[in-house]
Amino acid sequence: MEMYLYIALFAPFVGSLFAALFGASPKTLWSGVVTSALLFASFVSSVTLFVYLLQGGEPIHTELMTWMATGNLYIPFGFVVDQVSATMMFVVTTVSTVVHVYAIGYMDHDKAFNRFFAWLSAFVFSMMILVMSDNFAGMFIGWEGVGLCSWALIGFWYHKESATWAANEAFIMNRIADLGMLIGIFLLYWHTGSLQYDVVFAAVPNLDTSIVTLMGIFLFVGAMGKSAQFPLHTWLADAMEGPTPVSALIHAATMVTAGVYLVVRANPLYSLIPEVGYFIAGLGAFVAMFAATMALVNRDIKRIIAYSTLSQLGYMFVAAGLGAYWVALFHLMAHAFFKALLFLGAGNVMHAMSDELDPFKMGGLYKVMKWTAILMILASVALAGIWPLAGFFSKDKILEVAFSSEHYIIWAVLWITAGLTAFYSFRLIMLTFFSGEERYKEHGFHPHEAYKFMLWAMAPLAVLAVIAGWFEQQFVHFVTELLPTFEFHTHHVEMMLIAVTSLMAIGGIVVAVLLYRNGLLNPKLQQTAVYKLLFNQYYIPKFYDEFFSKPYAELSKIFWKQVDLKVVDATVDFIATTIYKTGEGTHTMQNGNLSSMLRWMVIGTVGLLVLAVLYVKRYDILALMQMVFPGLGA
Amino acid sequence: MFDHMLSILIFFPALAGMLGFIVSKESIRAYGITVSAIEFVLSLVLWYGYDPSVAGMQFMEQFALVPAFGINYLLGVDGISLFIIILASFFTLIGIASLTETRRVKDMIITLLFLQMTMVGVFAALDAILFYVFWELSLVPMLYIIGAWGGPLRIYASIKFFLYTFTGSLIMLVGMLFMAYFYFQATGQWSFSILEWYRLVLPENLQLWLFVAFFIGFAIKVPMFPFHTWLPYAHGQAPTIGSVILAAILLKMGTYAFVRFSLPLFPDASVFFMVPVAVLAIIMIIYTAMVAYAQEDIKQVVAYSSISHMGVIILGTFAMNVEGISGSVFLMIGHGVVSGALFLLVGVIYDRRHTKLMSEFGGLAQVMPRYATIFGIMVMASVGLPLTINFVGEFLSLLGFYSQSHMMTLLAGTAIIVGAIYMLSAYKKAFFGDVTKEENKTLKDVNKKELVALIPLVILAVWLGVYPKPVLTPINNSVESIVQLMHEKAITPEAKAAIPNPAETKIAMASVTEVEVDVEREAE
Repeated sequence: MEMYLYIALFAPFVGSLFAALFGASPKTLWSGVVTSALLFASFVSSVTLFVYLLQGGEPIHTELMTWMATGNLYIPFGFVVDQVSATMMFVVTTVSTVVHVYAIGYMDHDKAFNRFFAWLSAFVFSMMILVMSDNFAGMFIGWEGVGLCSWALIGFWYHKESATWAANEAFIMNRIADLGMLIGIFLLYWHTGSLQYDVVFAAVPNLDTSIVTLMGIFLFVGAMGKSAQFPLHTWLADAMEGPTPVSALIHAATMVTAGVYLVVRANPLYSLIPEVGYFIAGLGAFVAMFAATMALVNRDIKRIIAYSTLSQLGYMFVAAGLGAYWVALFHLMAHAFFKALLFLGAGNVMHAMSDELDPFKMGGLYKVMKWTAILMILASVALAGIWPLAGFFSKDKILEVAFSSEHYIIWAVLWITAGLTAFYSFRLIMLTFFSGEERYKEHGFHPHEAYKFMLWAMAPLAVLAVIAGWFEQQFVHFVTELLPTFEFHTHHVEMMLIAVTSLMAIGGIVVAVLLYRNGLLNPKLQQTAVYKLLFNQYYIPKFYDEFFSKPYAELSKIFWKQVDLKVVDATVDFIATTIYKTGEGTHTMQNGNLSSMLRWMVIGTVGLLVLAVLYVKRYDILALMQMVFPGLGA
Repeated sequence: MFDHMLSILIFFPALAGMLGFIVSKESIRAYGITVSAIEFVLSLVLWYGYDPSVAGMQFMEQFALVPAFGINYLLGVDGISLFIIILASFFTLIGIASLTETRRVKDMIITLLFLQMTMVGVFAALDAILFYVFWELSLVPMLYIIGAWGGPLRIYASIKFFLYTFTGSLIMLVGMLFMAYFYFQATGQWSFSILEWYRLVLPENLQLWLFVAFFIGFAIKVPMFPFHTWLPYAHGQAPTIGSVILAAILLKMGTYAFVRFSLPLFPDASVFFMVPVAVLAIIMIIYTAMVAYAQEDIKQVVAYSSISHMGVIILGTFAMNVEGISGSVFLMIGHGVVSGALFLLVGVIYDRRHTKLMSEFGGLAQVMPRYATIFGIMVMASVGLPLTINFVGEFLSLLGFYSQSHMMTLLAGTAIIVGAIYMLSAYKKAFFGDVTKEENKTLKDVNKKELVALIPLVILAVWLGVYPKPVLTPINNSVESIVQLMHEKAITPEAKAAIPNPAETKIAMASVTEVEVDVEREAE
């Protein structure tokens, strides 16, 4: 079984190296095909391991070699395949394989085709390290690795200022959070003496609660960055500058869920500190609604989906925070499938519309892009949580968790958000594919359906988006071998909850369809304050720019020009020039002229005498005065 | 065969350099490469002969120079100095091999060979006076390199470099003389041997004074805030090769000396001054990183980033535990590789465009993809991405210091943020965007000669990031013995508490793991 583990892990790496060999040369189809094939191998290995565990196999734990060892610190390259990592591996490799195949078509005309696949496979490799490592340091490798690949892929079209800006923003914002994670790791090490999951989790129950709370908080700060939780969320929407397959893979299905994975993985730690869990849940609920409201008015199909991702991540954190770790993982999986599908559909639309992203300029695309439309509607229905698609099962469970643990406010927020979700999803669908008029004609677009094989590549995701929810019982049984179970106390109201939630979702869909069936809304709405607030993302990016970026740049300039050059360096030069000038000024004393030298000698002698007298009589200056000038009197 | 290994390593380049005067101008490059290659192989032989399981000094050599005052020609290496010596010979080799068209190339190569002698000498010397001699001698070739091959402000820059560091060293020398005098008072014998000084337990107030004297000398060399301003001038004016050696090796003399002198000689004073030193280190990290962000000249970005990284090294050194000090020594190697490589890379573009202003570039990734790739790898190494060489050192340094102070580590940890800010924005300015300048459209990508220098550095940066063990284990063993010594020597209770006893913590940790094993067994 170890062999499968290593294949699953290293196949993407080999693919990445292969594609990188041709990184700077013109497009070779091979780089796409070979990386996809290797990813498929990785997928097959992951499924094999998954099935092996499903059939009751023991989790696999192996150590490749030592990484860092000094003092008492020992960090190996160790990997573990248990129920949680196997689930993640399955999700990651499934979506990656689909996205790779899809991207062969999507990146068809791109000059940097090979470079794209090198980075995309490198990302999968990092993600696999993240989910498979058996210690926190190994997770951190993957954590930073996906950050690097995300940076390179957001800024893939590096001639675009907006793309490189967004790439740097994502990297730096993630780094802020990574510092939190790093501090969390330090705390773990100094209090448990190890970073291995098993050792750490065995040791945390014996620690002081305040220490464990600190650990939980700092690790969660790391999770907030990767999973783009408020206030570190702005990078995710800007990350949509990257090619769409990247958005599908990295910024919807895998990397952004790393934060959720971290909390799920560290469940023995978070179970000890429910207060931190409540905070996580509260923040998650807030983000769920906060992001959904921004999605309501946005005019960029990819950003709408990005906000939706943000919102769904909030749902996952609610579940994880309230201790329903398996529910979080379940929604993570279901969400990965339908959200990736939605993004790939958006990619088709972008392709058809020559990279136009504004749905106000589309409309009526259903006629030309029937299959894409169907796939996207399917994904949206799943996202909205309509029976019997995947989102229904997973999202409903989260609402149930909130209700069952008597957090009714969280429940209510999530319940309203469910309606918003359905609304913005179908606003997008209506504006793009229906809504009467064919506005794209005014703007001179000639849309066309995507390549057949791209549609076929999306098919597995469509199937999974439909059926993933049906295996809820098996899934629970599988992952709760490792994760704690969650006691639901809602059996008596279960059906009612489901009905209420489903009504909300259907209501959202109906409203969207009715509102947008005949085209755009009255443009006067765009003048309202609420619209402006939402459209400008609550002015948060602007706030960050004004109050962080700009002052940082200004302060840097001041530090350089005013402090470093004019204070620190000038002081050094001042000391040096003072010494130099003293020499310059006094060297005339020794000009060799006998009379001037005698003069200086006299001055020197007098000076010395005065000093000597002062020294001897330093307490008796008055007496001295009297001695020198006796006529002065007493 | 290993009898006089260190003497050979020190004096072979110098002797070869003297012979270099009679080598013809045409063959001087080949000669220089051959000599430095032999030297590099010899340094590898040293590593081969080095026994990593022994913590103490190896390859010791000794003969008396001034017996009346206990001044000896005393050499030896341990895990801390071994790799810096190898790095020094490695950088001299690739520096000479990648030397571009230079005026008076013969003088340059001979100067470099002399510089190599002084560098190896500093790291191999175990006698304070010998150390001091090499320490000061190293200024002369660098003064000459900046002064003779530098930019328009070269005279100012080189004089500043020389006088500033020289002043610091004089104060250090006074400290050394006092140290020897105290040794004489305590034992009735003069000695300048560092190893013998190690055995001397000084009262705390003396330690404080001597610590400060040594500190000034080392801090200027590192350079620590606020003594750093000579460095941007030196880098700004120095030719590429000068900057490379300066950043990669010469700055390490300061941080190395902290580990070699300050910590084991004055453990109580080190603990006493830990907080102020750490504050300075944090200022270095954040402040210089911000100054780096404001720069317009890409070489200045790298220069200031050097200072910022040195802050992390200092912090790791003053962590006073094995993790932190090992990390800081490893980071010395890592920073040497990465900053050396970055200066080489800046030199590549300077050779082509004769400017270092980032506003003159833009879009270079399109014209010079290979160059952009290598630069990108080094940027990521500099930012401290895991699996690159700098991460290991940075991680361990910060991890180590965390046991001393939570808040200060949190502040110092911003290194990973501010570092990313200036490096990525510099990379973006130079490499991303469209090619706007006409001159940049026809730039040639890196050539073979440049690759010869850069590829080994890339390999090193990744190899030691993935598999640091061969280097980290010897460092760890030597650092353990130093921490042990410090713990035993410490007289104040604060110092005893702050410096862990490696032997004890080992046992304590082992018992923790045993308990856990029991827990696991019960679970089964």
